Amino acid sequence: MTSRVRRVWGTVRARLRAFRDIYEGLYVAPYRSQIYRAYLEERDLFLLSGFSDLMGAPSPVLFYTLELYPELIEQFHQWHLRMGMPRAPEGGFRCC
Amino acid sequence: MSADASVVFDRAVLFLGGKGGVGKTTLAAAIAWRAAREGQRTLLVSTDPAHSTADVLGRTLGPEPTPVSPNLWVMEIDPTLEADRYIAEVKRQIAEVTPPRLVAEVERQIDIARVSPGAEDAALFDRFTRLIDQLGNPYERIVIDTAPLGHTLRLLALPEHMAAWIGGLIGRRRKVTALSRMWRRVAGAAAAASVREEDPVLATLEERRARFHRTRAVITDRQRTGFVFVLVPERLSLLETQRAVQTVAKHGIPVRALVVNRVTPEPTVGARFERRRQLEQECLQTIRTTLAEYPVFQVPLLEIDNGGPATLDRIASHLLRS
Repeated sequence: MTSRVRRVWGTVRARLRAFRDIYEGLYVAPYRSQIYRAYLEERDLFLLSGFSDLMGAPSPVLFYTLELYPELIEQFHQWHLRMGMPRAPEGGFRCC
Repeated sequence: MSADASVVFDRAVLFLGGKGGVGKTTLAAAIAWRAAREGQRTLLVSTDPAHSTADVLGRTLGPEPTPVSPNLWVMEIDPTLEADRYIAEVKRQIAEVTPPRLVAEVERQIDIARVSPGAEDAALFDRFTRLIDQLGNPYERIVIDTAPLGHTLRLLALPEHMAAWIGGLIGRRRKVTALSRMWRRVAGAAAAASVREEDPVLATLEERRARFHRTRAVITDRQRTGFVFVLVPERLSLLETQRAVQTVAKHGIPVRALVVNRVTPEPTVGARFERRRQLEQECLQTIRTTLAEYPVFQVPLLEIDNGGPATLDRIASHLLRS
């Protein structure tokens, strides 16, 4: 009995998933890249406002945020690549 | 304004501040010594780079609390040492998680931070917030002999400013986290793997801010904290104290009392010393009228030089007798 219930539930779930995929394809997909772009922009803003020393401008809380470096340098690297700079800007953090 | 000395100096966190050379270190040691003798677990902290506390107690001290007598621990915070320690710790953490190709560059960046202005203040302050967290366990009393005034005032203003700045960063970071969550929801399985659920950056920032808030809550609480100004009965000392009292109060730190140290006692011999005594009395009068809202205590000019427990006991008796 229970195995049958499970089987039916499995089918229902598969259908629901298919429905969700169609829904996403129709309504969500067009915004996907926009949301991703917004996410990246916000992340960059955080990086550059809070960790301006990466750009060579002193940050007043630099000393309190040093331990965040490992989390952020990779993002910094991605940022300058995305901004069309194959090398890190002069004066700041030289990741490449 | 008069008050009972044993009540005035009994705050859990007691700062002693004043111009250099007025006797802060000795008075702080005397107060801590007395508190410890009365059975309270007391930590005497010196943030003065001159490290006179070691000289007062006649023994070497370090950056860790050293027991010097029953219930009394003493430590000297050295900003340079604290900054170096913090840097070393960060480098160790970083070596574990940074891609190898970036380690050298990250270390270079961190070394720049080490020599940047404010680094040592920040390290000193960070250590200070951790000490305040130890209030109650294990220490019942923390007596802080502060560095000369300007420096101390900046240090005390830090929790306010840093908490605000880090608060701003946290707000921004929360937006990043919210958007990343939104992105994950629409992107399906592809993005789920690339974005982590918990945000270590946010967690670190929030820990910092929470600690700054706790420190700020303690040092602005008049039930737990008091700032005591030490001065000598001379014009310059008085003028600086008048200004400093305003600043400390403005930062919300409760000013508890003024201690006028090295007051020339009666009787004096000769016209020169009598004149001097009169000037001091006039100065005391000005202190009482211009800073009328604070209790004023006096410690006379003694015939002993600083030298160990017996001296401290005597000074404490003078201070706490009133």
